Amino acid sequence: MKFSEENTLQVGFLNSLSPSSQEKFLSYAEILHFDRDELIFRQNDPSLYLCLVKTGAVAIEVYVPTRGLRRILTLGPGELFSWSALIEPRYETASARAMESSEVYGVKGGLLIDRCLADCAFGYDIYKALAGVISTRLKATQLQMLDVFAAD
Amino acid sequence: MSAAGIPRVAASVVLPKPSFQAVLDNLRNGGFTLIGPTVRDGAVTLEEIRGMEDLPRGFRDEQQPGHYKVEKSADGQWFSFNVSAQSWKQFLHAPSITLYSVNKETGQWVLQRPEKIGPRFAFIGVRPCDLHAIFVQDRVFLGDDFRDPHYARRREHAFLLVVNCTTASSSCFCTSTKTGPKAVNGFDLALTELPDSFLLEVGSEAGSEMLRDSGWQPATAFDLGRATQVVQHTERQIHREMRTDDLPQLLYRNLEHPRWEAVARRCLSCANCTMVCPTCFCTTVEDSSDLRATAAQRTRVWDSCFVLDFSHVHGGNLRPTVRSRYRQWLTHKLASWIDQFGMLGCVGCGRCITWCPVGIDITEELKAIRTTGAV
Amino acid sequence: MSEAIMTVPEIVTHADPMLPNAAVVRSIKPEAYGISTFFLEFQDPVIAAAYRFAPGQFNMLYLPGFGEVAISVSSDPNHPQTLGHTIRYAGSVTRAMGRLMVGDIIGVRGPYGSSWPMERARGKDLLIVTGGIGLAPLRPLILAVLSNRTNYGRVTLMYGGRTPPDLLYTGEFEDWQRGGVEVHVTVDRADENWRGQVGVVPMLFYRIRIDHPRTLVLTCGPEIMMRFVIYEALARRVPKESIFISMERNMKCAVGFCGHCQFGPMFMCRQGPVLNYAAIEPFFGKEDF
Repeated sequence: MKFSEENTLQVGFLNSLSPSSQEKFLSYAEILHFDRDELIFRQNDPSLYLCLVKTGAVAIEVYVPTRGLRRILTLGPGELFSWSALIEPRYETASARAMESSEVYGVKGGLLIDRCLADCAFGYDIYKALAGVISTRLKATQLQMLDVFAAD
Repeated sequence: MSAAGIPRVAASVVLPKPSFQAVLDNLRNGGFTLIGPTVRDGAVTLEEIRGMEDLPRGFRDEQQPGHYKVEKSADGQWFSFNVSAQSWKQFLHAPSITLYSVNKETGQWVLQRPEKIGPRFAFIGVRPCDLHAIFVQDRVFLGDDFRDPHYARRREHAFLLVVNCTTASSSCFCTSTKTGPKAVNGFDLALTELPDSFLLEVGSEAGSEMLRDSGWQPATAFDLGRATQVVQHTERQIHREMRTDDLPQLLYRNLEHPRWEAVARRCLSCANCTMVCPTCFCTTVEDSSDLRATAAQRTRVWDSCFVLDFSHVHGGNLRPTVRSRYRQWLTHKLASWIDQFGMLGCVGCGRCITWCPVGIDITEELKAIRTTGAV
Repeated sequence: MSEAIMTVPEIVTHADPMLPNAAVVRSIKPEAYGISTFFLEFQDPVIAAAYRFAPGQFNMLYLPGFGEVAISVSSDPNHPQTLGHTIRYAGSVTRAMGRLMVGDIIGVRGPYGSSWPMERARGKDLLIVTGGIGLAPLRPLILAVLSNRTNYGRVTLMYGGRTPPDLLYTGEFEDWQRGGVEVHVTVDRADENWRGQVGVVPMLFYRIRIDHPRTLVLTCGPEIMMRFVIYEALARRVPKESIFISMERNMKCAVGFCGHCQFGPMFMCRQGPVLNYAAIEPFFGKEDF
């Protein structure tokens, strides 16, 4: 499975991996198809796949009692989600839904963990890239929380 | 040369001291309002004067960080004091000016500008540092694409009679800013007090004209030598120093220096320094209207970067801490000013040192940043 | 000190730069909650005919008894008589403006300030990144680009707001798309009906590809947002000199005399509000500066 040039963004999870790690990672991936508005997984489901948007768009939604299902983030090609597949207790902390017809790379969490343990250099690379993604997402969340457009 | 006639520009002449009154009379008769130093409420202030009798003859001042005192001097000289509490800024860059008023009574706007022609000022006794401060404000208000017509109107008619310094206070540091103790140019007349006479340098035709019928004589080589000595003597009295060759970069590179916190613990953010500083020029505009809201007026008044609201934008103040406001004042005065106007904003008059209630010394703050862990 | 960006067309003022010109409110268009665009017309036809502005510049608007505010011109620079100003009701003057009606008279003087680098933009890819009311001073740039589309490369707008009703000019986005501007919109907080993107504006950088040697980034919005935008641009190797921001500061005179709008050595009314990031990098983001 080769990763085509068109999908390459200049930063992000895949570009943070070495070419060999990239190739390995994608070799473990299945391509999952979702129709527009199709639920990818639900909040509290066991987290099975580490996901990377290949094409289309994915919305992350959280259920809030009395407010219903609220979209809190949307992701595009190259963006990572459902890293709960790697992090105990491995349950989804939010729901994910395809906003349009989308393709998602899904790597089984258990499989990836085994491979990381077997090849520590690869494992280090994966977790390094993951840390970068989580850091970016955290910064974005902080900015979201600062509510900079609020009228005072 | 007889007393009739006037000296040429760039000439130096001497006057017996009482004859100086004739110069002041010439100015009064020429339609000028005389503004000069006088002793009032225990300080040397700048007021309208009638003649020599109002000058602080026989007074000297003592100036130190946070300390000012006027007392009688032993020598009976006319100009033994240093910078007055306030500067000439209050006359050229007025503390309060009506910009315009709008009358909406008829439904149409009627814009009214204050057409009042103000007095023509003759400044008697401008110290060389204060003369430079006037040059600095000339650059600010007249030197760019926009001109301030209020400053321009007062400035173009102003007659400048400089008095070179025969003594220095401990706050003075004009030798570091190269603004004194003697004026080089830009004046109409420049006076140096000698023991028994006044030496006057003629800087312009207007200056020359004011010497008519005053009994002036050409200065001798001896007179000129005495004047030079007097100025050198003053220079030797100045001990306060401020090094400026590494500005503005020194301050641009040290915006996070710990010294800012230290000075902020002492600074009261009272804005005294900006009020007495002869170059500080910040203003704000106040709006008022009558109760029926048919007439409104805009008034420009002095403002200070130490005022909390100075940096107000929607949502709050951008400089909420004293630290940030002190840093703004110092870096503007000694760094940004150079990039903005091609000259230092400070003229070494020492007023901010004298009049700071807690005695913060601008020269000491700069030195501390430079010598303790500067980047 | 690096070169200021100055494209100042001939300024129509009296010898006293503080004097305003009377202008009539021709129409008021609500844009979002608490935000409307006021379309003005100078009463003096000579002034009206002579008025010009460059994208990014602002006017001082005067409401007698209340005061003056600096408001960017948000209308088409090819039709300067439109004289549109998008105003958010935030302080005492703007809130008083919220009570104005068509036919009322206010004072206008300007234009002031530096403008977006239209000359440098020719032949380049333009990435316009903004949020909230920050889109107002960029709208003239977008309209200028659309009127001469072939002079520019790829043009992308990344725009966000707090919630969907806070977004400005949404009715024009389709026209802009058709005119050749790629429009990406996001909100910080979605409501039940929002089917679009959710997330902060800087994250929209992950939706696009940048050809960094030929891209100019033009941004306006809250300073924190601009800081994140600059970070994302630099991470994608856009040179510092190719990033332009528009900075807001307190303004009382707009002609460099009152001292309020200073940011380091620069006056936002003269060297700004549009600034080249390379020129201000040592000062930008400094706490309380």
